[in-house]
Amino acid sequence: MSVSVRKNRPAAGAAAPASRRRPGPGALAAAAVAAAALLAPAVLPATQVSVYVLLLLSATVVVGLSMLMGYAGQVSLGQASFTMIGGYTAALTATHGLPTWLGLLLAPAAAAACAALVGVPLLRLRGHQLAFATLAIQLILLSLVGRQEWTGGDIGLQGVPRLRIAGYEFASEVSYAYLALAALGLVVLVTRHIVTSRPGRGLRALATSEVAAASSGVPVAVYKQAVFSLSAGFAGLAGGVYAFYIGYVAPGSFPVLLSFEYVVMVVVGGAGTIWGALAGATAITLLLQLLNDIGTREGMPASAPAVLSYAVYGLLLIAVVLFLPKGLVPSAAAWWDRRTASKPTEG
Amino acid sequence: MSAFLQYLISGVATGCGFALLASGLVAIHRVTRVVNFAQGMFAVVGGMAAGSLLGAGLPHGAAEAAAVVVAGAVGLAVGAAATGRRGTSPQSALIVTLGVGFLAYAVEIMIWGDNPRSHAGLGGSATVFGAHVQRQSFLVIGVAAAVFALLALFFGRTYTGKALSACASNPYAARTLGIDPLKMGLVAFALGGMLGGLAGVLLTPLQPISYNSDVLLITNGFAAAVLGGLNRPVVALAGALTLGVAEAMVAGYGEASYQTVVALALMLAIMMVRASRRTALQEEAAR
Repeated sequence: MSVSVRKNRPAAGAAAPASRRRPGPGALAAAAVAAAALLAPAVLPATQVSVYVLLLLSATVVVGLSMLMGYAGQVSLGQASFTMIGGYTAALTATHGLPTWLGLLLAPAAAAACAALVGVPLLRLRGHQLAFATLAIQLILLSLVGRQEWTGGDIGLQGVPRLRIAGYEFASEVSYAYLALAALGLVVLVTRHIVTSRPGRGLRALATSEVAAASSGVPVAVYKQAVFSLSAGFAGLAGGVYAFYIGYVAPGSFPVLLSFEYVVMVVVGGAGTIWGALAGATAITLLLQLLNDIGTREGMPASAPAVLSYAVYGLLLIAVVLFLPKGLVPSAAAWWDRRTASKPTEG
Repeated sequence: MSAFLQYLISGVATGCGFALLASGLVAIHRVTRVVNFAQGMFAVVGGMAAGSLLGAGLPHGAAEAAAVVVAGAVGLAVGAAATGRRGTSPQSALIVTLGVGFLAYAVEIMIWGDNPRSHAGLGGSATVFGAHVQRQSFLVIGVAAAVFALLALFFGRTYTGKALSACASNPYAARTLGIDPLKMGLVAFALGGMLGGLAGVLLTPLQPISYNSDVLLITNGFAAAVLGGLNRPVVALAGALTLGVAEAMVAGYGEASYQTVVALALMLAIMMVRASRRTALQEEAAR
């Protein structure tokens, strides 16, 4: 994951100007995170690598969703539908004898194309209407995919071959961890360039007021479409990697709950910042893993893992929205700024 | 013909259930501007609680009434979480109600497990013009009609109802007259909880529910409510009946598994038509 070592502090919530600083604690943190992320697959025990892969894939989706929700202000409760489109695209191409690298390429393309198509009528809606509409899209998709012959119905598509790129076959868990890491790195890079550019400012403007943005010359409809498709493409990429990693896709792999999970990750980490997305995905994945371990111990009732994870989801979401409305990362950054500002600055 | 009538009546019954859900959504949204994502959860709680209370030996009538009261209490709690903290924007409150929905999943699985449950309603079926209709359907239609009549009286004739309407039309003016919008918001949530619980109690005998049925219930309720822009109860009622009948017809004449697809597609179509009639300027002025 090549997070560039020049940290523009992500503007938290309000559009604060991204102040260029000399490489400070932020840059060091970024380098440390990148190094840890690269080392992790090599040092983690084999059983933990699969958790790590799923964490990276979640983070890939969440970075895009965070950009869509926090930056462009468009709430999507159906983001897993694009993960699903990506997964199915990859699985379909691979099981029909086409080269697997093509499947991986087509996954984000198909998801982005579907989002562009659906987005034309959908993005006229705003706020809670858009939230419900995206949820409806996912419910429709799940219902349709579960009934088609060519998607394998409720059973899904089994026996997706291993991914081969230029003669190298991705077979081990660790190789997929690096593949997912590469996907996440790409997504982070693209997002960074967008949010620090002119279109990024346009997105921020239309999130605040579409009328004002349009009257200042921001092509609102085009930008909304573009960011919606792009975030869907990220989700599709994650879905494609997921299909090759797990080896099968089914409607049950992409429930509505997965979409909600992505939203929880965005909200908890802090919408509109890349760091927030990464932190949110990491925190929620690790927490769920921990709860799963606790819930599956001896003497626990069979429903314990589900109960624990739902309860924690709910409590976290409520607590963060009410008491840390900007999310973990921006709140922590603001606290750090206050701490350093209260000390006498050197020089 | 008799088949058509059968689908029509069962569709109207389901539609009445959706209408109760939708009217709860509308009541809450009018007063607080919050779209309550936990509305479907009220129905699940109501339905499940009624089943448990009947199992505990309470007679019919008392058990259902108690379940509706339980759902109302849950509604009050949701309202306190979503609007109790000052300065919570309606958008944040939507996410809070989503969180409450998750929390409710945990509690529901703990109490009732994760299998679909149902309880006996009015057993048997009646024959109307050669169509066999479950008697429970008539009960649903009758109760819903009575409840809507009572709601009309409540909003039009009682002080509390008028205060709620006042908050809905202009919170600022209501405050100058000594009405507390926050308190009225909580009343609206309790009312919404009771209406949702009633929908659950009535619909459960017709179709078993499980803890995660709430997503489909809320989307159907929202689809009906959005027809009236989440502010007009009568339009929401018409929307809910249309939706229920459309689903019953699709299930009867086509594929049962496509009925949700049709309902959702209908909802999307309605929203887009409504959205195309409003400009961004009007939307932002209404904020």
